[in-house]
Amino acid sequence: MMRCCIGLAALGLVFAQPCFARPVSYPGGWTVIEETDRQVTSLWVHYTLTPKWSLGLRSEWDRQQDYLFSGAQVTYLARRWFGENYQANVYGIGGIGFANAVGEGASQSNAAGFVGVLADWETRRWFASYRTRYLEAGRVGDNILQSLRLGFAPYEGDTGDLHTWLMIELDHRPRNDDKLGITPLVRLLKGAALLELGWSLTDNEPLLNFTYRF
Amino acid sequence: MIRSLVYCIVFATGNVSFASLAEEHTNHEVRANHAHASHRQSSSAPPDLDQREALETPVYLSRTPKIDTALESGGEPVVVKVLGVVCEFCAKAMNRTFGRREEIAAVHVDLDSKTLNLVLKWKGAMDDAEIDRLVARSGYKTRSIHRGSVVLEGRHAPDPA
Repeated sequence: MMRCCIGLAALGLVFAQPCFARPVSYPGGWTVIEETDRQVTSLWVHYTLTPKWSLGLRSEWDRQQDYLFSGAQVTYLARRWFGENYQANVYGIGGIGFANAVGEGASQSNAAGFVGVLADWETRRWFASYRTRYLEAGRVGDNILQSLRLGFAPYEGDTGDLHTWLMIELDHRPRNDDKLGITPLVRLLKGAALLELGWSLTDNEPLLNFTYRF
Repeated sequence: MIRSLVYCIVFATGNVSFASLAEEHTNHEVRANHAHASHRQSSSAPPDLDQREALETPVYLSRTPKIDTALESGGEPVVVKVLGVVCEFCAKAMNRTFGRREEIAAVHVDLDSKTLNLVLKWKGAMDDAEIDRLVARSGYKTRSIHRGSVVLEGRHAPDPA
């Protein structure tokens, strides 16, 4: 298991080597992010303190493992690569809070924390990202996630245009019955708003992500 | 699992010397292009490929109604070539960071030309070092800075007909 995690994490870094991510914006900027995938629904609000650090509050509901996490998340931009036509980033993330079991008869609660790495590489035509995260919540459970995303923009939009991306996300959740998930999606980006709509071919569940930057 | 994640974070943050080299390379370009902006070539050594490209590639101000209005009011045009400008969020970060400054009459990020286009309220209202600092604060890197009427010539060249 650990070998697999290291391998995929290294793969993410390899993807990041020649080359960006969204959890840190510009100092003084606020970002609201809602994410719903085949397993988790989360709401995250963060404030960017410096070009490298953001701090936020996060709440997530794991619909398969039946727990609700609420806590603080810090994100650190570890490296950013710039080029004439690309940008790439590697971020470290960490969070601490409480997890409560939810569902019928559930009464467990426990302190919880998570750590993870995000990496992305992006041009105006191509996109690749990798993320991995481990959440530990004691008696309530734990959660491991790795995901790889590849994307293509059918046209290059200029500032103010509607930007469209066609993407596919592969996620690996070793605690699940269906460990490997495949989710094709469409990303729409205009101005300060980003919307992602997709469908998990594995679980027949929707993907709905929304980000807004203030 | 935790150990592998910590290893990845350390790996990603630990390459300080490489990051410093990259920083130095960019600063070198900025210095070279500051020389271009003031039409001076100070170095005795021949410029490298990046420098030559920056010195030779024409850079024009991208026009919007706000940019045009600011120019009509007597503002100084400035075009900043920026590295890593690939998405709408990049544009927003710089629009917000520069738009808050009182010295700026108009700002527009052009994704096609990968430029930050500014009109200063008065000539010299913001120096190159401050522009470079604000670009970095937005999360990006300056490639070159171009000022004055030279950035307008492409638009204002007389019609050959």
